[in-house]
Amino acid sequence: MTSTDQQPFLSVKDLQVHFSTEDGIVKAVDGLSFDLIKGQTLGIVGESGSGKSVTNLTILGLHDRAHTAIEGEILLDGKELLTASEKELERLRGNKMSMIFQDALASLSPFHTIGTQIGETYRKHTGASKKEARARAIEMLKRVGIPQPDVRVDDYPHQFSGGMRQRAMIAMALVCDPELLIADEPTTALDVTVQAQILDLLKELQQEFGTAIIFITHDLGVIADIADDVLVMYGGRCVERGTKEEVLSSPQHPYTLGLLGSMPSLDGPVDVPLSPIPGSPPSLLNPPSGCRFHPRCTFADKVAGGLCSTERPLLDVVDGRGSACHLPPKQRGDLFADFAAARH
Amino acid sequence: MAAPAATPLYFPPGDGAPSGKSRLMFRFLVRRVIGALVILLIISAITFWLFYAVPRDPAMMSCGKNCTPENLEQIRKNLGIDKPIPVQYWLWLVGIFAGRNYAGFDYCNAPCLGYSFANREPVYDTIMDRLPTTLSLAFGAAVVFLILGIGAGMLAALKQGKFLDKFASSASLLGSSLQIYFVGYIAMFFFVAQLGWLSQPQYTPLTDDPGAWFSGLLLPWLVLAIIFTANYTRMTRSQLVEQLSEDYVRTARAKGLSRANVFFRFAWRGAMGPIVTVFGIDLGTLIGGAIITESTFSLQGIGRLAVKSVDQSDLPMLLGVTLLAAGAIVFFNILVDAVYALIDPRIRLA
Amino acid sequence: MSFSRRNFLIATGVAAASTSVLSACSSGSEGGSGQNDAPQVSGSKTIAIPVGSKADSQGPAPEVKGAVKGGTIYSLQQFDMDHMDPAQIYNSTEAAITVPIMRALTGYKLDDKGGAVLVGDAATDAGTMKDGGKTWVFTLKDGLKWEDGSDVSMDDVRHTFERLFAAFITEGPRYVQTWLEGGDKYKGPYTGKSLSSIEIDGKTVTFRLNEARTDFNYTLAMRGYSLVPKKHDTKEKYDKRPFSCGPYKIGDRKIGKSMTFVRNEHWDPKTDSVRNAYPDQYVFQMGFELVASTDRWIADQGNDQYAVPIFNEIAPERIAQVLTKPELKQRVLTAVDTATYYWPINTTRIKDLKVRQAINWAWPHQQVQTINGGRATTEIASTILAPVTPGYAKFDLYGAKTTPGGNPEKAKALLKEAGKLGQKLVIAYQQSDTQVKVAVAVKNALEAAGFTVVNKQVDKSTFYTQIGKIDNDFDLFGAGWSPDWPNGYSVFYPCWSGKNIGDGRNNYAQLNDPSINKAIEAASKIADVDEANKAWGNIDKMVLEQAAAVPDYHKIRNYLYGSKVGNVIWDSANTCVALNKLYAKK
Repeated sequence: MTSTDQQPFLSVKDLQVHFSTEDGIVKAVDGLSFDLIKGQTLGIVGESGSGKSVTNLTILGLHDRAHTAIEGEILLDGKELLTASEKELERLRGNKMSMIFQDALASLSPFHTIGTQIGETYRKHTGASKKEARARAIEMLKRVGIPQPDVRVDDYPHQFSGGMRQRAMIAMALVCDPELLIADEPTTALDVTVQAQILDLLKELQQEFGTAIIFITHDLGVIADIADDVLVMYGGRCVERGTKEEVLSSPQHPYTLGLLGSMPSLDGPVDVPLSPIPGSPPSLLNPPSGCRFHPRCTFADKVAGGLCSTERPLLDVVDGRGSACHLPPKQRGDLFADFAAARH
Repeated sequence: MAAPAATPLYFPPGDGAPSGKSRLMFRFLVRRVIGALVILLIISAITFWLFYAVPRDPAMMSCGKNCTPENLEQIRKNLGIDKPIPVQYWLWLVGIFAGRNYAGFDYCNAPCLGYSFANREPVYDTIMDRLPTTLSLAFGAAVVFLILGIGAGMLAALKQGKFLDKFASSASLLGSSLQIYFVGYIAMFFFVAQLGWLSQPQYTPLTDDPGAWFSGLLLPWLVLAIIFTANYTRMTRSQLVEQLSEDYVRTARAKGLSRANVFFRFAWRGAMGPIVTVFGIDLGTLIGGAIITESTFSLQGIGRLAVKSVDQSDLPMLLGVTLLAAGAIVFFNILVDAVYALIDPRIRLA
Repeated sequence: MSFSRRNFLIATGVAAASTSVLSACSSGSEGGSGQNDAPQVSGSKTIAIPVGSKADSQGPAPEVKGAVKGGTIYSLQQFDMDHMDPAQIYNSTEAAITVPIMRALTGYKLDDKGGAVLVGDAATDAGTMKDGGKTWVFTLKDGLKWEDGSDVSMDDVRHTFERLFAAFITEGPRYVQTWLEGGDKYKGPYTGKSLSSIEIDGKTVTFRLNEARTDFNYTLAMRGYSLVPKKHDTKEKYDKRPFSCGPYKIGDRKIGKSMTFVRNEHWDPKTDSVRNAYPDQYVFQMGFELVASTDRWIADQGNDQYAVPIFNEIAPERIAQVLTKPELKQRVLTAVDTATYYWPINTTRIKDLKVRQAINWAWPHQQVQTINGGRATTEIASTILAPVTPGYAKFDLYGAKTTPGGNPEKAKALLKEAGKLGQKLVIAYQQSDTQVKVAVAVKNALEAAGFTVVNKQVDKSTFYTQIGKIDNDFDLFGAGWSPDWPNGYSVFYPCWSGKNIGDGRNNYAQLNDPSINKAIEAASKIADVDEANKAWGNIDKMVLEQAAAVPDYHKIRNYLYGSKVGNVIWDSANTCVALNKLYAKK
């Protein structure tokens, strides 16, 4: 992290999340660690199935306990969450830590009014009356920029537009002034204008309350906009981390490099063809041996002794910056430069 | 049928949602009731036509040995079937609203559904006499199978994959493959004849003696419920399992709401729709008469009346029972749509 | 009766003979054969129901040994009565249930062995015949009272017969109406006119008939001719609440569900030689399917111990269980019905006698019996009259009993002789599970004998209408008939006389044989009962010599009853448990 002197508000240490399914054990998260301090935003990037959403559901304790084996540590403000009781977690959820989900239409209850849904979170954690909760809901709707909040508070989610639903979702997540906000691809389904508005809103609110934000996305453009630090996940493991600037301008892992190549660059030439990463995300039931990215990696043959397919590369983090790749750092720089040049 | 809203409903300020909703509901009900009456009219006409579609002479059924043409003619006149079929149908229809004078019987007061060809009783009176039995049977069994079925389904959904779930699923499979006339007689043999735990099934009006009403119908309720419980267990389980994996249920948990709160107010609310629909159909069907149950337990309800009227070519009774059965199904259909709209605000009453 | 309504339930009228009534315990276990527990009726002797003397007609009815007064007798039955106006009653359920509340001029007095004599019931004796049967005189007993205490008057007697002509009376028997002189023009008493062929003089009534009816007094014992009070005649509504002059009256009635008979305190046992009236009350309970009622009788609990069957036989599913358990079997009443089930052959279409005989020879009696429930419930028939009907003569023209499996060789030989090998036959049968199986068995047997068979299933409700049309397309059809009173007339005249060929009439075979017509004519004029019976037996043989039908089976009925009902005997007059003879054990 950028400043090590501050006590991290959220600390995840060597988290392992394994699901047991009928076909076998799925290693959804396989040894993940990170810290987050207040007022900062951590962007987690990865394809679907990379373990980013599982990580966050695990933080909230919303995983399917019957079929999940978890190891490691999750400390929220010094409190161990993995061993906390359900009652304790219920007190924390929606209060100290809350979450914004991706698909607001599916994530909001179709059976209750927006006002009820925002208000019940407030009532649960503050013991406010119905009337107070309603007033709070209107206030929150106003804050997230819903017009006529005193009328729309009685609407159902299906009566809202997509952008308004996402705002309502944010209002609901923020109603108890959470200290940790997890936003799981909150803007993916929205058009660019609305997306920008929502991101601005989150930034504003963060400034106001000093909230720590985990922002999950597969869109590096959004990361560029909102994140302070970035964590890149692949196949349940962290492959690269660092500040936004470090990761985006000088990626150290072939996967990050590939991600950058698969998105249009705003400052580069317009006619450059996008080059998506060949192959498909790994099966977590039967993950590839060694480096999980090696079947898709352009540089796997550059490593001597076929190390990529046999040895798991270690993530060595120095000062919050690191990557997990067998390529020697020197060779890496040259290869990446050639690769980028070939693209241009 | 209700359909999800294609466009968002927006109520301008001043015209509050509740009053708009109730006005919609009223218009919906009026429209649907008119539609239902049209359906019943068509059903009655078809029944009438079908009855005479096979060569059949109800008068012949009443004409004894050495039946003479004069006697046959007299019977036709007495029964009111001496006229052409369309005229008969018209007279029957008019009778419902205006009453009717029969040659062979007294004046029949509106709503006159005619006189039974077989026992010469007014059809309306007979149906009204049998209806309480069938209603008691239907609603009593419904209470039992709703409690058992939904309860077991909820437990199974909560304990997915565990012993309780597997037990409930197997039990419901077993239940759905049982036959009433088999279970009924076995149950009567053990619980009534051998053990004497339950009293001999019979119908006593609720208003006469609530205790006798309850104890006389308990066994029929339980046995009839066995068949239905299975379906509700399966449906409740699968609906709940589906709803519990819905995003909005996860959101509710993420807000810090308790498991129980989320289960009942969110997941169950979402699961209710299809269950209400099936329940409406089941109840409507049951009010048309639970023929096998009524026979097995010697209860005199609508189902037995229906069978008897078919057996005896008793057109007026057949028409009456058919209309009741169809009416019940149509009624519950409307009710289900209205209730569905109350459960799920996305449904628009159309 | 032509089982048109309720099918076989409808067997109405009268039958007789003590030996036909077997209690299962005497036929099975005591005999020690043990081999076959099925009730047997073969070889049962037929005894004519004779006309009793004036002394027989005098009350009170002879005491039943061991009987006690009091208690309640219950019934478990399927149907309620469709009619309670006696003039509308033609089926035996209704006739049987109304024995305790209705009285006609004549009636049947049962002895404790199941035998019966025709006696005067409301009349002092069974009537006096004059003019060779064209005039009949009856004298009304003294002391007969209606349930309100008023006397049964001669006006009531006249009214009973005159109201039979009213337009709303359509369902009861129509014998008396056709026989009374001037009846063809009479429209009933409600127009203020009376019928002059009924003459009242003091306590006597004289009927003048347009033809000689030597068995008129038997006819009058039918329920259709029971007395109706002029003062309390509510016309159409009388069908719902008749007025009693018997030992009981209707207490409470829930149509379709239940009915009670309570004592009529105005009834004087000294006037009644037919009814004993031991129980204080009868409670009829309706709505029980056969299996349900059988199970309750098997369980024998509570009030069911006092329950008797009114036409709810032992369910076919339970009959083996009941007949093989001695403790149940001793509560079984077994009786042969007067109905014979037979298959008339359409003689208009199948003109060749040899072909008709071939059908008879080929018939798979045994197989059909098995399908119909076996020996416990049916007896193979070789005659049209049932063994329990007076006039029954035992003969077996086509080996029904000697070769019950059928004799295809003989049938084929006859067909060959007639040059009709491959003869096409269209068989009509009623739609039911059993009948489908029977039709297949018959088809196979007939085809084995060289016929070509087409089976046609006909809707139950229209079956008799369809086969009753002169111009029908069927060659052979399953039917049945039981006599209305105990002699051959009520079988052979309606079903086998050439006079009764016509749409809706009952000569389904369309048999018009001059010698048979003449024989029927002659037999109905014979006044001597024994001689008349001999003549009817002979006609039976004549009809079957013409092979106008294939006799199929006689029905054996098995009834289970509660353990605390005493003296459960068969009322051969009403083909039902004798309600007027039983008592509730203490």
